[in-house]
Amino acid sequence: MPQLIPFYFINQLSFSFLTLLALIYIISKYFLPLFTFQQVIRMYITKLNNK
Amino acid sequence: MFGNQQYNIINSPLEQFEVTSLLGLNAPILGYLNISLTNLALYSLLVLFIIVSLHYMANNDTKLVPSKWSIALESVFASINSMVREQLGKELYLPFIYSLFFFILIANLTGNIPYSFTITTSIMVSIGLSFTILIAVTILGLSIHKLHFFSYFVPSGTPLALVPLLVLIELVSYLARAFSLGIRLFANMVAGHTLMKILATFLYQMFSGSLIVAVLTLIPFTLFLAIMGLELAVSFIQAYVFVILTCSYIKDAIELH
Repeated sequence: MPQLIPFYFINQLSFSFLTLLALIYIISKYFLPLFTFQQVIRMYITKLNNK
Repeated sequence: MFGNQQYNIINSPLEQFEVTSLLGLNAPILGYLNISLTNLALYSLLVLFIIVSLHYMANNDTKLVPSKWSIALESVFASINSMVREQLGKELYLPFIYSLFFFILIANLTGNIPYSFTITTSIMVSIGLSFTILIAVTILGLSIHKLHFFSYFVPSGTPLALVPLLVLIELVSYLARAFSLGIRLFANMVAGHTLMKILATFLYQMFSGSLIVAVLTLIPFTLFLAIMGLELAVSFIQAYVFVILTCSYIKDAIELH
């Protein structure tokens, strides 16, 4: 199996982990707050309508 | 003879999993510096780019009426959010779980494009991920419960005589998680891609035969399309299973059974 050739093991690990770390940072910093903000706005409007 | 050998090398179904260098830098500095942009690195950057651009496109600018893209993303967010809340009780781990889900999902889906590379078919990436998660979960458990964490290996109500045996069994099952989580993802992706490659090779040879054979090959081709659909489903299922198991491992570390 070509997956067991150890020549690029460190390369594979470092690139995939750096990508995942960057992804976690970008998503938690920029995109997830938007989702939460949108949900909060909708809840607020629903409450206003109920009143 | 030479022609046959070349033929075999080109058509090996495992050739698609080979990590090759696309761009390399070899410099005799800092010991011996070797930085390579491999196909895996390129595809991991591509996955990052796709996820970020998908989220950017689906960004609704906080408009109250959502677009089609934002409906899709918001429902994924809602289901992952409810899963994390139900299992862990708080949203602290949501960014990690959400990013992990999209990383595995988009990596699996980009791998379904013919002639592309799948990151998750690399044993180092999938087992590296599961090992890292298990180590992180163990550190989390130790930091929350201190030495009491080791009571995890002794189920409550165990007779004293059985404790050594049960501790051994529980320890092995705990450590096996590190492998099972990664191998499940890796094996599913490798098996699916190998099967598709083998079937596609057969189909190509049958389609390039006579006209009658080519027309008759449409029957197995429909089966092949069904298998491609199955592979798409496997991409989603494996990403979901990986994430849900990660959640349950974190839950185990927080609550200790």
